[in-house]
Amino acid sequence: MIDYEKTGVVKKGDIDVPDDERLEKGPVVVIECVENIPCDPCVAVCNFGAIDMDEITDVPDIDFEECTGCALCVTECPGLAIFVVDCSYSEEKCKVTMPYEYLPVPEEGDEVTALNRKGEEVQKAKVTNVRQSGKTYALTLEIDKENVWDVRGVEVKR
Amino acid sequence: MTERRIFEHPIIDFDRGEEFYFDFEGRKVKAYEGETIASALYADGLTKFTESKKLERPRGFFCAIGKCSSCNMSVNGRPHVRTCVTQVEEGMKVKRHGAKPDFPEKDIGRGKDRTEKDVEFAIIGGGPAGLMAAITAAELGGDVHLFDEGADLGGQLVKQTHQFFGSHEEDAGVRGIKIGDDLVEEAKKRGVNIHPETKVIGYYEDRKIAVERNGRFEVYQTEGIVYAGGAIENYLAFENNDLPGVYGAGGVQTLMNEEGVVPGEKVLMVGSGNVGLIVSYQLLQAGVEVVEVIEALPEIGGYQVHASKIRRAGVPINTSHTIVKALGDEKVEGAVVHEVDEQWNKIEGTEREIDCDIICLAVGLRPDTGFLRQAGCEMEYIPELGGQVPLRTEEMRTTERSIYVAGDSAGIEEATVAALEGKLAGVAAYEEITGKENEKTESLKKEAKDGIEKMRKGPYGQVPRQGVKTCTVDEEVCG
Amino acid sequence: MTTMVCRCEDLTEDDIVEAIEDGYDEMEKLKRHLRLGMGPCQGKSCTLLAERILCRETGKDIQEVAEPTARPPSQPVPFSLLASPKRGEQDE
Ligand code: SF4
Ligand code: SF4
Ligand code: FES
Ligand code: FES
Repeated sequence: MIDYEKTGVVKKGDIDVPDDERLEKGPVVVIECVENIPCDPCVAVCNFGAIDMDEITDVPDIDFEECTGCALCVTECPGLAIFVVDCSYSEEKCKVTMPYEYLPVPEEGDEVTALNRKGEEVQKAKVTNVRQSGKTYALTLEIDKENVWDVRGVEVKR
Repeated sequence: MTERRIFEHPIIDFDRGEEFYFDFEGRKVKAYEGETIASALYADGLTKFTESKKLERPRGFFCAIGKCSSCNMSVNGRPHVRTCVTQVEEGMKVKRHGAKPDFPEKDIGRGKDRTEKDVEFAIIGGGPAGLMAAITAAELGGDVHLFDEGADLGGQLVKQTHQFFGSHEEDAGVRGIKIGDDLVEEAKKRGVNIHPETKVIGYYEDRKIAVERNGRFEVYQTEGIVYAGGAIENYLAFENNDLPGVYGAGGVQTLMNEEGVVPGEKVLMVGSGNVGLIVSYQLLQAGVEVVEVIEALPEIGGYQVHASKIRRAGVPINTSHTIVKALGDEKVEGAVVHEVDEQWNKIEGTEREIDCDIICLAVGLRPDTGFLRQAGCEMEYIPELGGQVPLRTEEMRTTERSIYVAGDSAGIEEATVAALEGKLAGVAAYEEITGKENEKTESLKKEAKDGIEKMRKGPYGQVPRQGVKTCTVDEEVCG
Repeated sequence: MTTMVCRCEDLTEDDIVEAIEDGYDEMEKLKRHLRLGMGPCQGKSCTLLAERILCRETGKDIQEVAEPTARPPSQPVPFSLLASPKRGEQDE
């Protein structure tokens, strides 16, 4: 049995990730959707043809070179499984964009708690961007570079 | 008592109607127009809805969709009214039954003004399957009547606040609530005669159906029927499993997402299929704490993406765990769980208590087939489809002539499949009854069949695929 | 210990097991003997649990212990709904 089947928590090794060279170039998508489920809105929403599937039950096949990191897909995925990471941001810091559907909705500049895939606190982080699409938000957090593969959630206090 | 009504929600805007009062056992209780009696009472703090008839145990609601009868009360003198599907009205007089229901205070049946009507198509059930069947048959020119017990149609779609999976062509990425509303609009536009708040109470020979509406008995002589009565939530055996606070996951979802009322403060979710995972997420969105999700099997039942979503919010999921007891006297005050091995045996020393006030059961659904059994349809037990289902042709006809089935009543599957089955049943019924087969009907059938096939691909589709294979029979068998 | 099987008719797991031991070893017999499944929900909540207990106690396969016959009315309705005050009056 693969770990996530028991825990619901994926590891970096379970997913397809861009190589270091691509990461340094600018924002790029990270998709944490690893099972063959009947779902494909991510394919349709990408204007750059970066996500592909033959069958609706395939896992998304990502062309990291085509991806511009626009993050449109982040708010479109019903599984809330799509993130965008930007390691080109600065020496020490990077950015992670993630979907958010809770209350309260933070504002740009707010300090929030960045969480890992188990909901544990990783660090405090600053919100650098808030975008709304329907009822789903995409929040961009500024975090330490070393945490780029850990931070996948956020807690916003009232 | 903290306020149980939700006023701020990240996804849903609850526009409550006018505020008014009704009478509950001599006390004035606040309600908003559009609420059901059960949700207004629950929002007011009531947990004990009935007392059981022999053992006099307190009972809460359970399914919240009119299937289980746990919420029955006496309303304006009429006993055994399902309060979870009956809208509250100003000045209404509501009373709990004692251990035995009351004798009706007045003559509420109007047997003598029964009516009888001829209609072409009767569609039973206003969920995605029923609505699609109605829309399709009406679009082709049929005289279509759609019956549903609730005041609002849309079936269980109405409480799905999450975006849909599936293909973007079939509304994936759109929230269930919206799809439900759109289908109802479409049905109205196509001229479907919608009969809300109308209970179908029986099937009689030669495709006659009997319904009750507002105390009145009506008989419809139909030429064809599509039954889309949906599903029933499974119940689970453990000590004190009938305490108020043990609720079906679908019931919690209805209360929370349709009625805007939270079930409690701390929830133990039993079952990690997609329903358990999605309802957990929706509880978190409504600001309710989910203390833990437990699953008896060694692995999580639902999609990884749904599981990951709630894990990121800090909810633990414990597999190989089962519940043995609910704690509390008048309502749930905790639960006892323990670990099990692969043979379902208890692992000694793993028993522990969980602090919670709600135990939410997400242990599967079962097709609601009572009507079809009344109609004499041949049934078979298909575990892959959740229980007994009618045998049917590839085009959804049962073994009884002109009686079709679609959606969860034909086997438990996703809402998208239900809608497509409805479409298929709608066309096929139209063809059989009118004798009109043409390019249009052919192409509609093909669309539906292709869509269904697509949805059943992949490892998660393997189970229903296998099940459907077993209960699909040839045209000839169906006579 | 109260593990409820039929909420409507207040039948516990012990009641069902006892009845099976007394020889009521089919769903139809349990129904007639205990009123299992004959409450206002018409067996919607209890049938599955009862079938599972029956299988466990008798070693039967779930395929064999089919759901008992369904009859109208499938929902609670007042008797006066079905009955006419005077014979033939509905024809008037
Ligand atoms: S981030 Fe933009 S470009 Fe990249 S995959 Fe998503 S939608 Fe396509
Ligand atoms: S939309 Fe999201 S859940 Fe669906 S296939 Fe794409 S990544 Fe997976
Ligand atoms: S019928 Fe109302 S709670 Fe089940
Ligand atoms: S629970 Fe058994 S008849 Fe309702």
